[in-house]
Amino acid sequence: MIDSIDNSLQIAVLLICVFTAIYRAFRKDGRVWTLLALFSGSWVLGDLYWLFCLVFFDTTPQLSVVCNLSWYACYIFLYMLLRQVAPPETSRERRFLPWLGFVFSLAMAVFYYSFYLDWTVKLGEQYLMWGKALDNLIYGVLMGLLLFSAIRRLMDRRIYPAQRSLCIVVLVFCLLEYGLWTVSCFWWGDTLANPYYWFDFLLTVDFLLFLPAVKKAVAE
Amino acid sequence: MNYIENTYICLAAPLLLAILCLRADARRSLSFVLAGMTACLLSAYVSAFIADTSGTDLTSASYEIAPVVEEIMKSLPVLFYLLVFEPKKRNAISGTLMTAVGFATFENICFLTSFGTSDLLRLLIRGFGTGAMHVVCGMVVAIGLFFLWDQVWLQAVGGFALLCVVITFHAIFNIFVGQTGVVFWIGSVIPLTIMFLYHAFFRRMIRFD
Repeated sequence: MIDSIDNSLQIAVLLICVFTAIYRAFRKDGRVWTLLALFSGSWVLGDLYWLFCLVFFDTTPQLSVVCNLSWYACYIFLYMLLRQVAPPETSRERRFLPWLGFVFSLAMAVFYYSFYLDWTVKLGEQYLMWGKALDNLIYGVLMGLLLFSAIRRLMDRRIYPAQRSLCIVVLVFCLLEYGLWTVSCFWWGDTLANPYYWFDFLLTVDFLLFLPAVKKAVAE
Repeated sequence: MNYIENTYICLAAPLLLAILCLRADARRSLSFVLAGMTACLLSAYVSAFIADTSGTDLTSASYEIAPVVEEIMKSLPVLFYLLVFEPKKRNAISGTLMTAVGFATFENICFLTSFGTSDLLRLLIRGFGTGAMHVVCGMVVAIGLFFLWDQVWLQAVGGFALLCVVITFHAIFNIFVGQTGVVFWIGSVIPLTIMFLYHAFFRRMIRFD
């Protein structure tokens, strides 16, 4: 029950984001709003694919390639959005902290893979291991890139306040994603006591925050 | 037992002869149609191979493997054209759409040979639905590639991301058209609706020529 509410709420919020972004893309600043529409759209397509598999076949997809591709696309569009709104030319200073984002995401990728490895060996489905290794590596690199870019721009003193707020929303998005993935390793169950749902509800709120953040950044 | 390669040869032969006789735009368009049909045939082999090696059943393969393979195979002729010939934007976009048309045409022929030609209404919906879906996928990639990004590396990364999006859209379409009744109808109508919306509202804003 809580799973359906969570999914439906997230899909509804993302659809609002998609349609608002498309509407604004045709009014002004088309490229930025199109990237936001593509970001929300690719996420909602991944969610819908997962949901339709559950509804029509009563099971999650055996190979999660399709929804993973959709979520990779989502991170790529988010990176491009960040790049479009706050171009890297404004932040050329070399600092150490942004690289921690990369190190963190690659370390987390190793952690998730080792966790998954234990699980697949127990199930005797070793053929899944290589696919999952590549999958974790891609997620690690993409999330690392997002964390790196967001922290780098946040540390730049020349960046405008509105651009800064978009960077914060992106950073929160990344951290919530890591929260979701980490709790899903240790907690299972379809009750509100599962912290997975808390993180997912917060992620839904964060999706909504992209609209004012992009609007402010574009206006500035 | 259907030998789809034989059907492909029968369809490709006149097209190939016409390509040899035609010039300029007509030759290019027909070449892309043929490339789309070839991509469809090859993707059937690749999908069947992957489904067999991963132990996936036919239904699951239709929405887990086929969309990935089909969209990648469909993009290869255009990618080759872009990399080798460095074409004008207009030619590349029409190439993308013609490849999608060729792909959809051959996919519909595969459907006809497998399920027969008795149910006209279903074939009508299926024909238009599949055609519209492939054209919509081609359009999304073309719009993104040629209107959103101006730097080559952004076009490459953005093109990959758009390919991922259309793969998911294709997979959802396959889930719907694999069902019966209302779900099948809804699935087939979604890409047609997107095409209608494009023609009604966005055609003047996004011009392909």
